[in-house]
Amino acid sequence: MAEGYANDTEWANVTPIELDDGSESGAMPLATIAYPPEYLEATSYLRAVMAANEMSERALKLTKDVISMNPAHYTVWIYRARILFALDKDLVEELNWLNGVSLKYLKNYQIWHHRQVLVSSRTHFPTMPTKEPDFLMEMFAQDSKNYHVWTYRHWLVRHFKLWDSPREIEDVETLIKADVRNNSAWNHRYMLRFGPRDDEPDAGMVNAGKSQSKPEEKGRLPVVDEDLVDEDLKYAQKQILRAPENRSPWWYARGALHAAGRSLGEWEEFVAKFVEGDEVKSSHAVEWLADVYAEAEKTKAVEMLTMLKDKYDPIRKNYWDYRIRMLGQVA
Amino acid sequence: MVEPIFNTERHVKYYLRCLKTFLPSAYISNDSNRMLLAYLTLGGLDVLGVLQSKTTPEERQGYIDWLYHCQVPTGGFRGFSGTNFGDERRTADNEAWDPANVPATFFALVNLLILGDDLSRVKRRECLEWLPKLQREDGSFGEVLGPNGTVEGDRDLRYCCCASGTRYLLRGRTGKSVEDVPDIDVSKLISFIEACQSYDGGIAESPFRESHSGHTYCAVGSLLFLRQGTDNIEPAQLVSPGSAKFEALVGWLASRQTDKLLGEEEGEEEGEEDETEGDNQEVSPATEAETGTESVDDLIRGLSGMTPIAGDTISCAGFNGRCNKLADTCYSFWNGAALLMLDRYSVIDDARNRKYLLEKTQHLVGGFGKGVGDPPDLLHSYFGLVSLAFQGEAGLAEVDPALVATKRTVQHLHSLPWWS
Repeated sequence: MAEGYANDTEWANVTPIELDDGSESGAMPLATIAYPPEYLEATSYLRAVMAANEMSERALKLTKDVISMNPAHYTVWIYRARILFALDKDLVEELNWLNGVSLKYLKNYQIWHHRQVLVSSRTHFPTMPTKEPDFLMEMFAQDSKNYHVWTYRHWLVRHFKLWDSPREIEDVETLIKADVRNNSAWNHRYMLRFGPRDDEPDAGMVNAGKSQSKPEEKGRLPVVDEDLVDEDLKYAQKQILRAPENRSPWWYARGALHAAGRSLGEWEEFVAKFVEGDEVKSSHAVEWLADVYAEAEKTKAVEMLTMLKDKYDPIRKNYWDYRIRMLGQVA
Repeated sequence: MVEPIFNTERHVKYYLRCLKTFLPSAYISNDSNRMLLAYLTLGGLDVLGVLQSKTTPEERQGYIDWLYHCQVPTGGFRGFSGTNFGDERRTADNEAWDPANVPATFFALVNLLILGDDLSRVKRRECLEWLPKLQREDGSFGEVLGPNGTVEGDRDLRYCCCASGTRYLLRGRTGKSVEDVPDIDVSKLISFIEACQSYDGGIAESPFRESHSGHTYCAVGSLLFLRQGTDNIEPAQLVSPGSAKFEALVGWLASRQTDKLLGEEEGEEEGEEDETEGDNQEVSPATEAETGTESVDDLIRGLSGMTPIAGDTISCAGFNGRCNKLADTCYSFWNGAALLMLDRYSVIDDARNRKYLLEKTQHLVGGFGKGVGDPPDLLHSYFGLVSLAFQGEAGLAEVDPALVATKRTVQHLHSLPWWS
């Protein structure tokens, strides 16, 4: 925390640049904040060192102070990274400091981007820093669905080519075991299994976005390992049995079948067991059957959609009516 | 049953307090987002229809001057005045520390339009020249230009949307007098956006990430903005009714509506971080023995059947932003706006959404909170208001879902020279 820069001999040769919010020239500032004096002082020294493009230890310390008050400041992080590289600082030490900051500001995303900027230096990190997975699990213990942390983990996998690293799938399974409804973990599993195995910037688009590929080919794997797909479908079934109303594994299975170029009909027998006459054990099974029947047995499909609308999913009544109309039937 | 009431007067008071007094110190972590906070404030007053009556022409001119004060000499706008160390000190070596910011530029332009400014002081050409420099090889956009012109910031659809929006506002219908400025690579951007659609139909911040309503809104918004001035490019599948991608997206958006509300969850003591949506089913433990000894058939037979849900037992239903999360005020907006742009708003249950907003997150002092019982904040207040405006709430102005500004503001935009 700031002890006061004005009285600090280390800062004696710097003239701080006061905040110019425009009021002197007659402007009326919007979204004005009651700034605490220590924030105003620290940021006025920050403007001064930035204007001088100063790469120094004291500037590094100052960025830490500003970050502690405003971790969402978008240039202070870029500036800090620049100084770290310019002074050839120990980046592992920086990561350790970041761990604490990350645990304190769980919703902040600049922290994670900064971490990515550091770890992406091949000179410093030819392989993944060994403690990364442990720290990420510590973050997930705080919030197992933290979007920024999952974004970073996704990037790590691509950057260090960790698709088949046992630790990746282990952590995903641990998290799903703890909370079968953790959709973020399901998504990560999908990326490990069916994502592109390349770390080129546009690799994510190989099967998904190439404009020359036909729409029905998008999202399909170029080469399918059928055993792996079967194993994954079995995994999804097992998790569905734990909580049949949980959307995540149902959609995971749809995704797996799509990626492999296989049809929803393949699961008809399994799914039908959840819908026996009037006894329904999962609304997602009813929707699955509706999709299977939509191809050739429209009346049966409408029956399923009507069941969802009237009995099991009344919030989406309008949506199920829309689906019935899409089948060319009267809702 | 008592009809829920939209308390116009309280909301106006809340917004005027935000506009005319200092925001509390807790907002310093949002200092860099002041341009966004300004938008949420001005936008709220405009949607409430009182911006003109509750501010004087002098005040509005003063606000306009502040927005221009945030314009960077080389084009585009800062997110806040805090990075500005003075034009006289600006050099090629230090300008990266006071850069124009992509979202801030979009919001600054919308703010100017809301205030009725004609954008004549906007460095339009410079800004349009700056935009393509922020586009990456894969088609996505960054947030700012760093030292040596590097593109900084995540791969994130928010930046794509704000960049497309800026291009839309400043190129306009005719691109008059900027015909020679190189455009962004529109097809590449469309490819990137389409690659962000996940296996469940929703859209993520980047390819193969988890689908998220905020990013889904940004994807659809970008595609609508990009339609302008690109007649020769085939429309994206994502926004083409009847295509598998379009229907999967609509289905995913409809699935976001839920009666599991943030702030009302069981085991609330776990706090805000636990935003997991439960259902009424028990979760069986994941033991190997369980599936090892019994067949799948036996296990399914052993499951209990669902009890049909009577429609009248659910009065409120808001929206979540991801699968298995709890409803939060802003997602009524993100999902609703995306559906409105896709012309499929009718698939949701608007009556239950209205009751959710009015009875559960509308705050006594005005504004809306994030979850049930939360204090109001600028972001959730604006998105709560706009969601109600989409549904024709009496007393609120009509709002355009792409620009997220009133129709009056959109008409003003269309009166600018490059739009005629």
